Amino acid sequence: MDKKTVTTISYLSRLKIDDEKEQKIINDLSNIIEFVDQLNDVDTSEIDPLANPLEKTAKTRKDIVTAKNLKKKLLEVAPSANEDYFLVPRVVE
Amino acid sequence: MSWETVIGLEIHVQLSTKSKLFSGGSTEFGAESNTHVDLIDMGLPGVLPVANREAFYKAIRFGLATGANINQTSSFDRKNYFYPDLPKGYQITQMTQPIVEKGSIKIAVDDYEKEINITRAHLEEDAGKSIHDMFEGETGVDLNRAGTPLLEIVSEPEISSAKEAVAYFKAIRQLVTFLDICDGNMAQGSMRCDVNVSIKKSGDKELGTRAELKNINSFKFIEKAINFEIDRQIRLIENGECVVQETRLYDSEKNETRSMRSKEEANDYRYFPCPDLLPVIISDKELKEIKENLPELPEEKEIRYINEIGLDESEAKIISSSKTMANMFEAASSKTDDAKLVAKWLVGDISALLNKDNIDIDESNLSAENFGILIERISDGTISGKIAKSVLEEVWETASDVDEIIQSKGLVQIQDESILEDIAKKVIESNPDQVSAFKAGKDKLFGFFVGQIMKETQGKANPKAVNEILKDLLK
Amino acid sequence: MTIKYKSIKEIKNMISHKEISNKEVIQEVFSLINQFQELNAFITLNEENSIKKAEELDNNPSDLPLAGIPIAQKDLFCTEGLRTTCGSNILNNFIPPYSATVIENLENAGCISVGKTNMDEFAMGSSNETSFFGNVINPWGKDLVPGGSSGGAASAVAAGLVPAATGTDTGGSIRQPASLCGITGIKPTYGRVSRWGMIAFASSLDQAGPMARTAEDCAFMLNEMCSHDEKDTTSLDNDIPDFEENLNSSLKGKKIGIVKDLDLSSLNNDVVEIYQNSLKEFESMGAELVDISLPHLSLSVPTYYVVAPAECSSNLSRFDGVKFGMRSEDVKDLEELYVKTRSEGFGNEVKRRILIGSYVLSAGYYDAYYKKAQQVRRLIKNDFDNAFKKIDVIMTPTTRGPAFKIGSKGDDPIQMYLEDLFTISANLAGLPAMSLPNGNIENKPIGLQIIGNFLDESTILNFAHMFQNETNWHMYTPEGIKQ
Repeated sequence: MDKKTVTTISYLSRLKIDDEKEQKIINDLSNIIEFVDQLNDVDTSEIDPLANPLEKTAKTRKDIVTAKNLKKKLLEVAPSANEDYFLVPRVVE
Repeated sequence: MSWETVIGLEIHVQLSTKSKLFSGGSTEFGAESNTHVDLIDMGLPGVLPVANREAFYKAIRFGLATGANINQTSSFDRKNYFYPDLPKGYQITQMTQPIVEKGSIKIAVDDYEKEINITRAHLEEDAGKSIHDMFEGETGVDLNRAGTPLLEIVSEPEISSAKEAVAYFKAIRQLVTFLDICDGNMAQGSMRCDVNVSIKKSGDKELGTRAELKNINSFKFIEKAINFEIDRQIRLIENGECVVQETRLYDSEKNETRSMRSKEEANDYRYFPCPDLLPVIISDKELKEIKENLPELPEEKEIRYINEIGLDESEAKIISSSKTMANMFEAASSKTDDAKLVAKWLVGDISALLNKDNIDIDESNLSAENFGILIERISDGTISGKIAKSVLEEVWETASDVDEIIQSKGLVQIQDESILEDIAKKVIESNPDQVSAFKAGKDKLFGFFVGQIMKETQGKANPKAVNEILKDLLK
Repeated sequence: MTIKYKSIKEIKNMISHKEISNKEVIQEVFSLINQFQELNAFITLNEENSIKKAEELDNNPSDLPLAGIPIAQKDLFCTEGLRTTCGSNILNNFIPPYSATVIENLENAGCISVGKTNMDEFAMGSSNETSFFGNVINPWGKDLVPGGSSGGAASAVAAGLVPAATGTDTGGSIRQPASLCGITGIKPTYGRVSRWGMIAFASSLDQAGPMARTAEDCAFMLNEMCSHDEKDTTSLDNDIPDFEENLNSSLKGKKIGIVKDLDLSSLNNDVVEIYQNSLKEFESMGAELVDISLPHLSLSVPTYYVVAPAECSSNLSRFDGVKFGMRSEDVKDLEELYVKTRSEGFGNEVKRRILIGSYVLSAGYYDAYYKKAQQVRRLIKNDFDNAFKKIDVIMTPTTRGPAFKIGSKGDDPIQMYLEDLFTISANLAGLPAMSLPNGNIENKPIGLQIIGNFLDESTILNFAHMFQNETNWHMYTPEGIKQ
């Protein structure tokens, strides 16, 4: 866990770490990774990963439209919107 | 230096379900912005996805039609990245256990055919739309499209030219429309494709570095973009430079591809199984039902048209290649006994009109009902073939009823032999010189007499009867 | 007649015997909340609506099971029209357009949601010290933590302000605060309670549950919280039993698993003694102690600290300042919008976990960490499955000690993580588990954890209720033993 790695994962997570906090974060993350490294002591070669304790198969839905028009409600809770769209600073592709 | 091109296509097909992949939001195109957005589509805190079973069924149809393996147990993964029209900050897709794997499709290019293998086809949700030219300095986000089910079809990198790429895209489009899983409407974005292009020296085993051309949605642009890109890559390498693995956009105005900025820290999508969605299992019974109810595909139709209806090869091919044409043919044929005549008109006059107006048959004013009646009226002799052409044109412009046009314009064919005989006699009497000339051996003048009778009858005389009568009278 | 420290059942009785009106109940709740403001147990209060609802009930009495009962709702549940913050700055202004299924279920059963309780930010924490809205104080001591993440809920119930509260438990967030505050709380089997409307932290671990003064009240409330919900495909289809039915069943011959692999030597002696006394209590009721082994138990904390951050790093991506919640000012482009909003909106612990989560899922590390953790998770679950073949419940102390001082864990995340040592494994395996008060150390309560088999809440509630019939630890309040 070095500065470069922290910079990369910060970017992936869209988080900025202040310079003065950077060293602590690097230390914290290193410690946590070291702590979880104990998992490697266990042999799991034939074991199936468990993603969810239920493991039963998913219920699905029928193909019908049930949603109502929530336009006004949704745009109202937006940090920035006009009557029709959510707004963000101009994205250049 | 001889170069080979290696192309792979990833086609995103919008499945024609009524509701979205994980919510009850409507997938209808063209609605006012942000009116088809369900709480789930918004990615509000606390919401949970529930998979739409019909989307699976449509994907399976594709798998069956391409001879692919159907994974009856399939699961969902999350692809994590940030973009304003991706509400949750991740897309739910199928990475590890896609619903369809392998399969193949035949493509026809110019004068040869080729089989292209399909690596996989999986379900995933579409993002919303970012509108960049909205306001000064701002981008607007419309989430109507967010959550629409997509089937991403990935080909093996077995396509070798821009032409083959277009043929493949067309073949996929034909297949998904015939299977009734996508409306194939390119203008509305129902199908989009990303193209991976690389080049290598002929004979080289190793593949070159590829560039990805994103989001192209017209046949014309696919061909142009690929050709530009091939040239660009060749020039780079011949200049001693390297092709960079990157994503590029095609600019149709300048006819060039250019690099998309800011994809540098290359997105690590951190795929992992979506913990909110447990695996979906399609039963043997469901699979059997889908198999049994698969719509008839173009090749099957073509064979049936030739063998059971008696159409000739070229007609059968043309009609069976378009779902809308095939639908029209089959619907109109059911209204009359003369399917062959229906085909002849479809491939002939109607195709000409469609080309002239640059529309698809289901956008025209001609209904299957009316078309069937038109053919029926020709078969039963009510109107002649020539008159029928003018009736067709009238229907084409005005969408009026065939029978109404025939009645109101008095176009009913004159079949009564005694009437025709009288008119013929009149014509013969008025044109003694031509009669002598004909009897003296100028056979061509037969047409003159026919023409005169047609003139007298405003074209309504039954041509066959006229011929018989004239032959008799001019003996 | 005061409602302070009264249980749900007691308040129901008071109302039905006309000893107190619905309005008086609610008025007193708000008066108490005001009086004990320094506990900082609430983020948002729902006074006007609550009084209105109470007045309606006085005019038209209802026989709904929770009619008129004031319940404090953890601020992790979406409540339509009522601010929901998850203890975070990034949602400091968020008013949900819908309510969680759990909230709807409880309100349909007649309860009055008096307010939203304070919590560790996004449920990440074991001391309620990470909330944007300030620490919660344990009613047992001004300088003590109440535990977390359901710290506000535990504090409110322990101080007698409300008879019950909803909590959520991802690694122990109901049980640990229940233990440190001297109340009873249960995390049901994963999937019993719908997660629709519960702001997600770690989707495969999160579960909502009741926190109250007695096991009986927990059973009563759990009955109303559970439902089949087609909006949550991870919610169970299985029949929901009446959780009160078997509360008084005899414990004779029932088997309690004692985990051999649990190293109690690092715990303070009082905790061990209290724990052993509880076991003796159960033996005197006819239960038998059986040694069991959960060989991978010690790996539950590292497993959790891979799985939970991974899931949360993805779940929290939706907080981007675009569609809802806070957005930073003066952002000049999209990147800045994301980075500034999220950096200002999230606290340190949340950021740490997001970073860990992104790391363990990143290319090249996925197999070594995330996949590995999911494999160990299965081993842990298998251990439990094996153990439950020969026992009915497992018992451990809930926490390593009583409430610790605010700020005493320093800024060492791992020290805090080890607080969850006993509770985490039940979340990984999806099993029901509860905590009930079983002792007192220097006037600080401590709890006993009972873990049950899949879908067997009834048995753990039975054990807890019988214990509460014979002992009075659950009657202790910060002001003395309840009469």
